[in-house]
Amino acid sequence: MNRFIGRFRSSLTLKVIVSTVLLSFLVIYLTGSALNSQLSVGIKKVNIDSSRIEARSTIFSAEYKFLLAQGEKDAAVHKVVEDVISSATSLTSNESAREVIFIRSPGNTRVQDYEMTSNLVDPNSIPEKLRSKVRKNTSPTWSYVTIKYLGGQLVPGLAFGQTVKIPNAGQYEMYLVFSLANQNATLALIQRFLILTGSVLVILIALIVWLVVRQVVKPVREAALVATQFTAGDFSQRMRVTTRDEIATLGDAFNAMAQSLEKQIARLENLSRVQQRFVSDVSHELRTPLTTLRMASEVIFASRDSFDPAVARSTELLVAQLDRFERLLEDLLEVSRFDAEVAVIEAVEFDLVVLAQKCAADLSLVAKERSTELRIYSILESIMVKADIRRIERILRNLFSNAIDHAEEKPISVTIIASENDAAIGIRDYGPGLDESSLHRVFDRFWRADPSRARIRGGTGLGLSIALEDARLHNGELEAWGRPGKGAHFVLTLPRYAAENIESRLIKLQPDDYHE
Amino acid sequence: MTLVMVVDDDQDLAEMLGIVLTGAGIDVDLVSRGDEVLEVFRNNPPDLVLLDVMLPGLDGIEVCKLIRAESMVPIIMLTAKGDSHDVVRGLEAGADDYMVKPFKHPSELIARIRTRLRRTNADVSGLLTIGDLAIDVQAHQIMRAGKKIALTKLEFDLLVALAKEPGRVFTRDALLSEVWGYRHSTDTRLVNVHVQRLRSKIEHDPENPEIVVTIRGVGYKAGVMGGS
Repeated sequence: MNRFIGRFRSSLTLKVIVSTVLLSFLVIYLTGSALNSQLSVGIKKVNIDSSRIEARSTIFSAEYKFLLAQGEKDAAVHKVVEDVISSATSLTSNESAREVIFIRSPGNTRVQDYEMTSNLVDPNSIPEKLRSKVRKNTSPTWSYVTIKYLGGQLVPGLAFGQTVKIPNAGQYEMYLVFSLANQNATLALIQRFLILTGSVLVILIALIVWLVVRQVVKPVREAALVATQFTAGDFSQRMRVTTRDEIATLGDAFNAMAQSLEKQIARLENLSRVQQRFVSDVSHELRTPLTTLRMASEVIFASRDSFDPAVARSTELLVAQLDRFERLLEDLLEVSRFDAEVAVIEAVEFDLVVLAQKCAADLSLVAKERSTELRIYSILESIMVKADIRRIERILRNLFSNAIDHAEEKPISVTIIASENDAAIGIRDYGPGLDESSLHRVFDRFWRADPSRARIRGGTGLGLSIALEDARLHNGELEAWGRPGKGAHFVLTLPRYAAENIESRLIKLQPDDYHE
Repeated sequence: MTLVMVVDDDQDLAEMLGIVLTGAGIDVDLVSRGDEVLEVFRNNPPDLVLLDVMLPGLDGIEVCKLIRAESMVPIIMLTAKGDSHDVVRGLEAGADDYMVKPFKHPSELIARIRTRLRRTNADVSGLLTIGDLAIDVQAHQIMRAGKKIALTKLEFDLLVALAKEPGRVFTRDALLSEVWGYRHSTDTRLVNVHVQRLRSKIEHDPENPEIVVTIRGVGYKAGVMGGS
């Protein structure tokens, strides 16, 4: 059912057809029912009228026969009654069957009994209500009845009744009962015919609507398909325009838009290619002079002891700044690679715990300088993953350095968890933390949590942004949590096999030791 | 005196390299064009070549292939691109090692040069065997059924490192430290590419190596012929 509703919502054709069919069905049903009831009322009325005339004449002739038989013997009277019954029930071929019933009126106590019926009809077929009406009236009175045969057969019928006097036998009620089987058959036929006609009409209407809607919807659908392909990146797609109607106008407009978009996109693509190419070239071109600079500075640095203090200090600054310049260049180059989407994973199998320990060991001196330390907790002794080890190492270095920078002399806990499919590392520091607006920007390039202090630390401002790109390149995720004064928590989740997807977050972003 | 040929089109960098190397007691031959390398090389064969990738005249990769075609001299590529593509191309062309500009320290460059030049495995004497190969460490020769197989010094060192300890499985990091002299490197491409090159020279079927066997997820070890 839900699927049907879904399809109904999504398909214009279906929507139009269904609503048209429903509406036309309603209209056809109403007119059909009106026609049916008009016809059946008419037919019944004609039937009653003709039956009444016939009943009247039959009963009149019976009364006349009984009048003539006045004074005859019982046997003769009996014969007259039988004669009345047989002549009333004799049929011409196309007439409905009819029956005659004589019932003794209440209060008639004569010995002679003429309670007779034709064709074994049960006298109880005449309801008491009709009988009392008949006794009050002098002209034929009618009612619908069910004719009961003694064989158990039931037939709908129309009964006319009047009181008659039978010689030597007193007052009787004479009933002429017309079978309505033929009439009902006719009515049923009409009804069937109406239903059939109505159904065929509805189907035909649905068909016509489908054809019409298709004419309109088909080009729309084509346009949608072209637009989808367009969205998917195939900018060469155009709508076919073969007619000169409104659809053609739509097609022309669409194609014009597509062409303009294609041009714009090509222009932008070219621009960004040029831009990325430029950044990459600049970085490369900078490297050769930087190499020379570095070597020259090292040569000078090596003999700084023989310089006077100002020159010696300048040499130190020169070397340190060249270091920083180089790191910045490295990071810029990496960023330009991500932007150009040429960064690729070179996956190898390695132990994530060992790598984390190695990174922590490499940074232990820096950590010590800042009176903090990295404490690694791993649920498993060894967690083998298949990933680009250089990138993962870079992510860990960046996250560890970042935590050390903000640790404020409190130890940093590093948690490593793995499942069958995923591996996760959480880095929790208890430093100044991050506020809501900082959290949104923490992975932005060159963004610094505290502009006044960050310069001392000499980071490039690209570390976290590169870490995020590295994580995403592995189909992993890197997320940050923080509260002012409550520290920060960075969680890296990776698929254990490069290029798969992560299934779950093994480490909650909000640390367990924090409560709102 | 050791002679190092420095091939770089940047005059200043070449001069600076000259200063640094000379300061370390190494003679330097400067060449600035790729298409001049071979001539200089033949006239005055160096002990090691420091080769830039981007060169006028002839691409560094091509130069590397040409040198390798006639000499087993150690080659260190200098690349301004950290892109793995360039690095791998250089290694596949026959370079033993590579350095990405700018180098961390000039001393690092010198250390690398010395590693490539030093007489390794001086402690090993006599014959080693690995698979069906006989290694004469002193004479720097590999023989299979009396026939010599030519290997570069690095490939030789790599093979000897594995052959010295036949049962041991070497991780790529261990090989990097043993053969290349790296302390903290995670660049396993060096090992992978050179193992491939070595195999292409010594294995009967490089697709199904029997002498240098890969231990999945760990590294390599010396194989035992006829069994695994």
